[in-house]
Amino acid sequence: MSKDKKNQVSRRQFLNYTLTGVGGFMAAGMLAPMVRFAIDPVLQPDEGGEFVSAKISEEDITTEPKRVAFNVEQVDAWYESTVEKVAWVYKQEDGSIIALDPTCTHLGCFVGWNDNENYPEHFYCPCHDGLYTKDGVNVPNTPPTAPLAVYEHKIENGILYLGKAIPREEA
Amino acid sequence: MKWKRQDMQQYLKSKEYIDTAIVPLLPFSMEGNDEDLLSLTYQHEVMDVFTERLEKEYKGRIFRFPTYSYLATSKIEDEVERLNGYYEQLKTQPFQFVFYLTFDAKWKKHEKNLEGQLLWLPILKDGDIHQEETKKVILDQNEQITDLIRAYWSET
Ligand code: FES
Repeated sequence: MSKDKKNQVSRRQFLNYTLTGVGGFMAAGMLAPMVRFAIDPVLQPDEGGEFVSAKISEEDITTEPKRVAFNVEQVDAWYESTVEKVAWVYKQEDGSIIALDPTCTHLGCFVGWNDNENYPEHFYCPCHDGLYTKDGVNVPNTPPTAPLAVYEHKIENGILYLGKAIPREEA
Repeated sequence: MKWKRQDMQQYLKSKEYIDTAIVPLLPFSMEGNDEDLLSLTYQHEVMDVFTERLEKEYKGRIFRFPTYSYLATSKIEDEVERLNGYYEQLKTQPFQFVFYLTFDAKWKKHEKNLEGQLLWLPILKDGDIHQEETKKVILDQNEQITDLIRAYWSET
């Protein structure tokens, strides 16, 4: 009887072992990617490179900024979801297309084009009166400290495709 | 801002800019008939879409708090009192505007006892949120709410 007892693992002990085991396993799981990235930067997932249709054809783009909405699949650590993105799209003086991210660089509200009578022909942020000129550059002495980000874009079969929004440094 | 750690971090650094709190109010019940239950979940979905959009477009000024949920059967006077307790909490931070968003007409009658601003929206009892028609209605109401909130802002 007593010999038996020696080899016996109590239920509590057993659970404890397993828990520690699971904990260790989880810690390893968290460390592994960090180690991997530290060792081999090539393994880092490439976030960019994906373009989605903005559902607007090149010829419909004028010199007047137009608001377009498009959907992107977004995957983060926990969720996979379809997110609606917005862009202000227009043709610049030289005819090239630019797509601005409406996210205000102050605290992230959406800016509108030419929708405040006090600031015609500007991007205006309704949250704290942030201002940007047409090219998306922030106006000094308003809260934003950087220009609006610019989406990567390309034209395929006459349709505009947008990619990642690239932040711009203060000019 | 949302009730998330990352947003809270940003909030703590820029409190004085985020002066508007939004708290959705939704009744909860599991004892009603099938129709009631469908209606409750539908309302919850619409509220989600609503506040999600609001928060997204006005992230830098609006803080969207978790939904205040209450038993559909509970006495509204008691809820008013509890909600005023919430208000006290919010007011310990520099929030200038506190809005409650609800589809429940019960609150309307007790609006004057509520601290903070009640925004009541009528809504269809049931529907399909993915349907084009419903989407249009929701977007429309969304715009009205934003206009209203912006009107409050411009008064100051
Ligand atoms: S978020 Fe745009 S000015 Fe503050």
